[in-house]
Amino acid sequence: MRISPRRAAAALSAMALVGSLSACGGDDSAGDAGAPLEFWTRSGPEGATTYKAILAAFTAKTGIQVNYQGVLEFDTQLQTKASSKKLPDLWVNDASLLGTYQGQGYTTPVEPGQIEGGDAIDAATWQQNKGLDGQLYGVPYSRQAFGTLVRVDWRKKLGLPQPKTWDDLTALATAFATKDPDGNGKKDTYGMVVPGSSKNGYIGWWGISYIWQAGGDILAPAGEGKYKSVINSPQTRTGLEFIRRQFCTPGNVVPGSLNLTTSEAPFFQEGKAGIYLTGPYAFGTYDKILGKDKYEVVPMPKGPVSTTTLGDGENIYFGAGSQKSDEAKKLAAFLISPEGQEIGMKAEESKYPTVRLPVNRGVDVHKVLGDPRWDLIQKQYLDDTKTFVWSIKFQPIRQALGEGVNAMMSSCDSDLDAGLKKLDQAITAELKAQDVLG
Amino acid sequence: MTTVPLTRRARPLVAARRGMLSGPGWLPWVLLLPALLFALMFKFIPMVEGLRMSLFKVQPFLGDQWVGLENYRTVLTDSRFRSALGHTLLLGIGQTVGALVLGFLLALLLEGQTRSLWVLRTAIFLPVVTAVAVIGEVWRILYFPTETGFVNSIAGWFGLGPFGFLNDPDQALVSVMVVGVWTAAPYNMVIILAGLAGIDRTLYEAAAVDGVSRWQRIRYIVLPGLRPAISVLLTLAAIRSLRIFTEVFVLTGGGPAGSTEVWMTRVFSLGFQRNDLGVASAASTLLLLVTVVLTLGMRLLTRQKESGS
Repeated sequence: MRISPRRAAAALSAMALVGSLSACGGDDSAGDAGAPLEFWTRSGPEGATTYKAILAAFTAKTGIQVNYQGVLEFDTQLQTKASSKKLPDLWVNDASLLGTYQGQGYTTPVEPGQIEGGDAIDAATWQQNKGLDGQLYGVPYSRQAFGTLVRVDWRKKLGLPQPKTWDDLTALATAFATKDPDGNGKKDTYGMVVPGSSKNGYIGWWGISYIWQAGGDILAPAGEGKYKSVINSPQTRTGLEFIRRQFCTPGNVVPGSLNLTTSEAPFFQEGKAGIYLTGPYAFGTYDKILGKDKYEVVPMPKGPVSTTTLGDGENIYFGAGSQKSDEAKKLAAFLISPEGQEIGMKAEESKYPTVRLPVNRGVDVHKVLGDPRWDLIQKQYLDDTKTFVWSIKFQPIRQALGEGVNAMMSSCDSDLDAGLKKLDQAITAELKAQDVLG
Repeated sequence: MTTVPLTRRARPLVAARRGMLSGPGWLPWVLLLPALLFALMFKFIPMVEGLRMSLFKVQPFLGDQWVGLENYRTVLTDSRFRSALGHTLLLGIGQTVGALVLGFLLALLLEGQTRSLWVLRTAIFLPVVTAVAVIGEVWRILYFPTETGFVNSIAGWFGLGPFGFLNDPDQALVSVMVVGVWTAAPYNMVIILAGLAGIDRTLYEAAAVDGVSRWQRIRYIVLPGLRPAISVLLTLAAIRSLRIFTEVFVLTGGGPAGSTEVWMTRVFSLGFQRNDLGVASAASTLLLLVTVVLTLGMRLLTRQKESGS
């Protein structure tokens, strides 16, 4: 086909315009030495308000401008930025994503000495951030333990004691579902809130504490940075039997839970369910919506082996390719300083703390918050928590765990042994794909 | 492509049109430019990039690794993808047939010029203009799996249920399908209404003189008259059903027990939850290929039928 001069001109002008659009596309500041520091967190509006308060104090103190974004669909958005090689200069997200970020080269290593005030963080807490290559990735920002929240007014009205064991917990859930604890004459209350969706491995996140309490586990070290799956054990089966007992006792779990994520499960604050195993970041919201006097945080009820609960946290990660690493380190230093941590804990405006348990040894939870619920969470964290394996790409393992447990809970007659065998194969395959199978 | 010589009757028509749009030859290109640019930026460049990524292990900061057709092999041998394909096809066929039948019935019921019909048609059309995410949230409430749930309380009047709906792996796919039919049927209704308006009324009168039954009228006049409309609807439905995502993601997220996992939720899960963009791209590329083949096949089939009829 012969191309006329007019056609060629039209095509060229189109391409030139596309070129210019591509060149000026987006408002990315990351990687640009002259632009403000780009800082992201995985936060909704409430968490973002708390971060903004910290950043206002940081800018007032240092004069460094920060372009901050609280992002809800964080992983999707971060991948988009990574594809265009314009990651934020630094971001805060779950500690369990450390291996994923390190394995993909998203983050750069860091030494405690490089961060002003880095020595105020325990060596053990720093060591949690060790990647598979032995280097530290990310600065610890916040830590937490999951806690059991119970509607204290319901419990007292029914004359029941605080649950001390799994059986107590089951009995309490059944009582909340069947004995009309809100006294409205309707059968519209339930026992536990369970974010039971397999999306992002939610049910695995929620249920892992019970698996650990039964003596089960997901992975075990196999030496030299390798791991093996240990999910297919009688102990894990015991934990899953307990979880299934809740799903299969009508009302013990909010109906429809197998498709719910945390953001779709507001039943505790709405007064529809009386028990929720969740992170302490929810206290502020529940105090506002439900009332501080309506619920209590109880010590973790004991399973057959222990009272272990999920320990988790958030890290500050430095984006690869950033040209502002000095300023990023200054912001990280402020985020872990007593001032930054206290603003994040108090969350005066939003009541949504972004620092749960401080990583800075100089900050006293009791002094800052004066709240026995937080003291209990700290005690639980120090005494009896376990974390996921952060050094490997744990997200796909959590996804597999969530899918496996979701499938096993979907029927009261499902074959748990076959389900565990299948889950074991899926986790082993994932470890192999990551080249960390021992 | 073969060129067909213009008939004598067509030539003056084309000339008249050219006259109406007289102006420099580049004008249409300039007018098209914004749309072309958007298509290039948001469709064609990402499409080519997706094709490229499907051949690599994607890791932007460590350098992408060439893996050839390995990602395609992974997709084709993955049992989860196979079951997702099965669910996608079941959902696609169920929703297409369901929405077509319901749309046809609605169109027959609401055909006419009466003013009140317009109000009713608008009310029935509402699901089409409502965001799918909102529809999903509303249906999740309607489907609440106890006797206090809205749909279950209605079923209770007839001594049925309570049903598990989205919470039961055996019912979840059908429950999602019902939402899809409810959402798509009004759109089909509008297209079929337009098709019905195009049918020559004298055929009905002639049929009435011949004393045909209502069914015979539908069988021999209405359905043949609607063939072009139905062919468009089938083509659109085939494409739409293959890339179904939002309804499933909002309603169930692919659960429980993977019973509603479709091709696109699996792609999403691999791409954004497992960070495996190479395999996710390969799966998307396969979906594109299947869509193109299916669309061309459908066009070919309907063209043959139209030329044969």
